[in-house]
Amino acid sequence: MTVAEAVTTSDRAAHQAGGGGDRRTKRAWKVSPLILAFVFVPFVVEAVWVFWPAMQGFWLALTKWDGLSAPTFVGLGNFKDMVSDPIFKTALKNTAIWLVLFGGLSVIGGFGMALLLQRERRGVGIYRAALFTPVVFSLVVTALIWRVFYQPDGLVDSVLRGVGLGDFIRPWLADPDTALYAVILPALWRQIGYVMVLYLAGLKAVDPALYEAAKVDGASAWQRTLYVTIPQLKGVNSVVLSVIVIDSLRSFDIVWSMTKGGPYHSSELLSTYMYSTAFQSTQLGYASAIAVVIFILALAVILGYLIRAFKEES
Amino acid sequence: MRNDRVESGQRRREQRATGELSLQSNLSAVQAKGAMEKLVAAYNKTGGAQVKLNTVASEIYRTQLPTYLTSANPPDVYTWYAGSVADSYAKKGLLLDVSSVWEGLGNYPKAMQTLSTSSTGEKIFVPTSYYWWGMFYRKSNFAKWGVTPPKTWDEFLAVCKTIQSKGVPPIGIGLGDTPWVASAWFDYLNIRINGAPFHRDLLAGRGRFDDPKVKAVFTKWQEALPYFDPKGKSFPFQEATSALLGGKTGMFLIGTFFADSAPKDALDDIDFFQFPIIDPAVPVAEEAPTDGYFASKKAKDPEGVKKFMTWLATAEAQEIYVQSSSGTAIPANPDGKSADTPLVQKGKAMIESAAELTQFFNRDSSDALQPTADAALTKFLDKPDQIDKILKDWQAAAEKVFNA
Repeated sequence: MTVAEAVTTSDRAAHQAGGGGDRRTKRAWKVSPLILAFVFVPFVVEAVWVFWPAMQGFWLALTKWDGLSAPTFVGLGNFKDMVSDPIFKTALKNTAIWLVLFGGLSVIGGFGMALLLQRERRGVGIYRAALFTPVVFSLVVTALIWRVFYQPDGLVDSVLRGVGLGDFIRPWLADPDTALYAVILPALWRQIGYVMVLYLAGLKAVDPALYEAAKVDGASAWQRTLYVTIPQLKGVNSVVLSVIVIDSLRSFDIVWSMTKGGPYHSSELLSTYMYSTAFQSTQLGYASAIAVVIFILALAVILGYLIRAFKEES
Repeated sequence: MRNDRVESGQRRREQRATGELSLQSNLSAVQAKGAMEKLVAAYNKTGGAQVKLNTVASEIYRTQLPTYLTSANPPDVYTWYAGSVADSYAKKGLLLDVSSVWEGLGNYPKAMQTLSTSSTGEKIFVPTSYYWWGMFYRKSNFAKWGVTPPKTWDEFLAVCKTIQSKGVPPIGIGLGDTPWVASAWFDYLNIRINGAPFHRDLLAGRGRFDDPKVKAVFTKWQEALPYFDPKGKSFPFQEATSALLGGKTGMFLIGTFFADSAPKDALDDIDFFQFPIIDPAVPVAEEAPTDGYFASKKAKDPEGVKKFMTWLATAEAQEIYVQSSSGTAIPANPDGKSADTPLVQKGKAMIESAAELTQFFNRDSSDALQPTADAALTKFLDKPDQIDKILKDWQAAAEKVFNA
């Protein structure tokens, strides 16, 4: 695709400069070495640093390896083990919960905030900046701040006690029933600001004339959002979807720095389980197999969406 | 022909030897790091090969150690732990045989020798210090509550009851971030009820975690569960230390390293008692994790490495380390002088009188088995009624590690 684009651009340039029909066909066949270099040098770098290790990951997923001795081939044994592994099942379930709650709520929240803050009003910049600030922090820093909120007799506990809900107080990050949700909250706190910025950019690109027309036709505010804004944001939606699916599946840092997947695996995601099997239990073959599962999940969700989007376009 | 090859091999090794040894250290805490720097500076003055210290953050070190040892050009000497955990590397043929160093260590106790010997009978480790675990408490608080250190399990439960009646959670613990602290309870209950040999076999994969004898450990533990600080699940052992020092908990089963995060003036008020005896018929064992050094089989200058390790084993070298660090570690060399505080003397006496020594869960098994214990034990503390299921899951997880 890059090649084709590059070729057409250079064609156009040639056409404008020389204008000769002969020259044009010649150019189409003879690609400039500079362009070839632009394509192949990154390809080689990518091949060495990305494709080759990725292929190795697929190969390791079929082996048993402790990182010390040579890996032994076990075929699909690792994947068979997964089926009967209760921790893997918990991690898979939690990843699904994470995808739905973290992904869904960040889209709803981000879109809602963008709608609220899209119109230029006095002081709106302050609100936008405030919502975007959490994105600037590293997730590990975010995790540290929230851990202080959650600690026994910390901010959360004091607030609950203050409003007379002292009975609800729990060891938030140490209780298996609340740990996962207690981690999703700070992740959302950050992601909503990010999604909001994406939607704000999308809303800016919507032609105001469409709203004028809708208004003239007597459409209510709700109808304008439903029938003008949302269809106009189709392009942004695919970006947001890819971003949140990828962000959900690779969420690791915030979980690891808040609970390490504990207590006893109750907030384990596929990503944290992959890390702990690889580097704590040194079962690198099994960990690679989990990585393959994560990869397939991400690919399936995103491909599914892209195929649908292309179908609608054609 | 064969001689030729040996000679050329030696020559090559001599060429590669740069007169510099690399020492990879996981002692990254401020005091310990400073002590290591002093130690290395002292050796470099003796005129042997120059040692270059490379300190790595301890958590990174642990995950990277296999990589260091298997790399093509590994560092020469490493700080690590004695026992099974060292043997697991020796089994893969990664460690240098340092039997010749041990020829001069006749005064070291038998237990240290056993811990430093691989399953193939080679000496692979040089111990330099050890510490102990105990039930630590504030003397002033015990006086205020009118309790005295218990000796038996029943006395211990009685003390717990009294402290609880004063409105203080009797037993402190810190499992958030540091869930491995719970393993101390498992280790101690197991060596008090089933004895050290059973414990070691279990951790080496020669027993089963769903054995009724292991279940007995948990039913005993249940008797003490009501006395645990419920907040302990949320914070790490450093904060549990502050809770103990601040009088918010009564006692704390912990290793002496907790002193690194305690203010010096509070330490004068700290004392400990031995983990209570449960079955007097079981020979008394104590946890005495032993630290020291091993070397890579691919060390560029094996003779220089051995010379350095021989020096590390001397009382003089160990005193340099003990004096410059937080002072709660005890030199492995029986001639080495430990810090002269009553606390350290008491700890040393307890270890010396023990019939058996164990290390700690991960050191008696492997770093890979530790997470399985963390999951099982924190779950037990939360849901003590599910013992059978927890032990079944633990056995399954452990089998996976042993077969990896």
